[in-house]
Amino acid sequence: MLEGLLGFAAVLVLVMLRVPIAFAMGFVGMVGFMIETSFRASISMTARLIIDTSQDYGLSVVPLFILMGLFVNKAGISRELYAASNAFLGHFRGGLAMATIVACGGFAAISGSSLATAATMSKVAMPEMRRFGYSDRLSTASIAAGGTLGILIPPSVILVIYGLLTETSIGKLFVAGIIPGFIGILLYLAAVRFIVWRDPEAGPAGTRTSSSERLSALKDVWAVLLLFFLVIGGLYGLFDVPPLNLSFSPTEAAGMGAMGAFLIALARRRLSLAATFDALRETAMTAASLFAVLIGAWIFSNFVNIAGLPNALSNLVTAYDLPPWVVMGMILLIYIALGCVFESLSMLLLTVPIFFPLVTGLGYDPIWFGIIVVVVTEISLITPPVGLNVFVLRAVVGDVPTATIFRGVTPFWMVDILRLLLLLLLPGLVLLLPSQM
Amino acid sequence: MSRLLHVAARLPAILASLALFILMVMTFCDVILRSVFNAPIEVAADMTRLLMAIMVFSVLPVVSAQGGHISVDLLDGFFKRAHLTRWRNAFTDLFCGVILIWPAMRVFVLAERSRSYGDVMEYLRLPLHYVGWFIAAVTAITAAVLIVRGLGHLFAPKLMSSLNA
Repeated sequence: MLEGLLGFAAVLVLVMLRVPIAFAMGFVGMVGFMIETSFRASISMTARLIIDTSQDYGLSVVPLFILMGLFVNKAGISRELYAASNAFLGHFRGGLAMATIVACGGFAAISGSSLATAATMSKVAMPEMRRFGYSDRLSTASIAAGGTLGILIPPSVILVIYGLLTETSIGKLFVAGIIPGFIGILLYLAAVRFIVWRDPEAGPAGTRTSSSERLSALKDVWAVLLLFFLVIGGLYGLFDVPPLNLSFSPTEAAGMGAMGAFLIALARRRLSLAATFDALRETAMTAASLFAVLIGAWIFSNFVNIAGLPNALSNLVTAYDLPPWVVMGMILLIYIALGCVFESLSMLLLTVPIFFPLVTGLGYDPIWFGIIVVVVTEISLITPPVGLNVFVLRAVVGDVPTATIFRGVTPFWMVDILRLLLLLLLPGLVLLLPSQM
Repeated sequence: MSRLLHVAARLPAILASLALFILMVMTFCDVILRSVFNAPIEVAADMTRLLMAIMVFSVLPVVSAQGGHISVDLLDGFFKRAHLTRWRNAFTDLFCGVILIWPAMRVFVLAERSRSYGDVMEYLRLPLHYVGWFIAAVTAITAAVLIVRGLGHLFAPKLMSSLNA
């Protein structure tokens, strides 16, 4: 137990020195494993993990889903998604902010990253909201909050990493994210309505769009919506009926999605050879850094397990006779506290190897816990002082102080907490869809 | 120096991109062939493994050379104010490079072992130690790149900051 905690502290120190998280976890895991076993065993374990991880069939979902998001992005779909949701919502008070939320949700359905969602949407939605005189507070906050949906609505890089770390079905995790994602959109919309009810000046109504214009706006986005339906539907097993008999493994769904996105971008003549190469190269680089991080996390988790940290924690729980919900409450508080200083992926990698065995030991569902962790991570993305989405927005928009964005985000943060409570009290909201698979 | 690095950075990226593109098209074709013609590509799983290894490991030295690993920049401001950024960067790069040496050597040993066993991929029949050699070589290159970067921070800070800019 003590070795495990010391190891954890050592990782924190190294990470603060800006040692890349993959190397920090890998090094501490290696040294710790060495102390528990031998030099030879430890280096062999590390080398085996390096060899096996790079050739893991299941891991190929990572680059393929990233690629799908990049291709769709290159096809300029974020602009069209915004235009389409604007056509339907823009004429309400606060409508442009609501359209931002919905477009973020739509973009999240193709992209697996919250930061990418926030960065992309801020380029598209911010100028529009400025043009209609929206307050900086509401406009930046709606993008920062809406952007967090990227990691919950499938596909999601964070859920893939969670699934790989815990050997939980990625397909089920994705499907489980759908209902909480929708609840997230609805609650964010309610938050916008609340803000403009308190301060009508914050989000004046835009112009009404005629129904023919609405139809043409929809025409621009149907292909992408179809792609999402195909990928997630295939994963869910919707098309596994004769004569189609089409059901996808996560890798296959990701491959179909990437190819589909590639074809859509080609058909729109938005994809040059250079842009294709760019997307491929960027994906490969991102995937390589994610793989490094995964290998590091696995080495660390091998050490933590052999040092008996998860066991010691569950013994502690039994010794004090703590009810499961108290343990869960403590874990969530730790997550929210860590989320104040850590970036989402680092937080996930550091905590899941320790908490996951404890939580499943208490009888909680691994899929449910995955979604809860992601929702807490979403909250951490807009929590001061290190709400990463807020910083992304600050960087893209430029002239709005960070404090203003954080103040604007508060109502969104509150509905996020509400959603977390909802999912904690009603696990069925998470587990309904995956249980049908 | 910077030109040379740029040219060197191109080649792995092209290799990785090609591997990824083939992976995408192959996965797509596999699903279509399997569901429509009931004729899956038998070597698809092996090919996926091979292409993944090529994709990930060919860009790993580039990611390392560009400082592209995921890290926490929470104390960046503090190090900057204390004028310690250069020393910290030198430490982290040297540290990461040095700790990669042993795993790289062991990957090579494991590859040699699988060569002596004559291990091959199930469908593709490709000897596994080729992949092992490749991974060992690239891990070693990555270690070297990181060590050079660390030394650069120590002895040629001007060059390093112009590269990073």
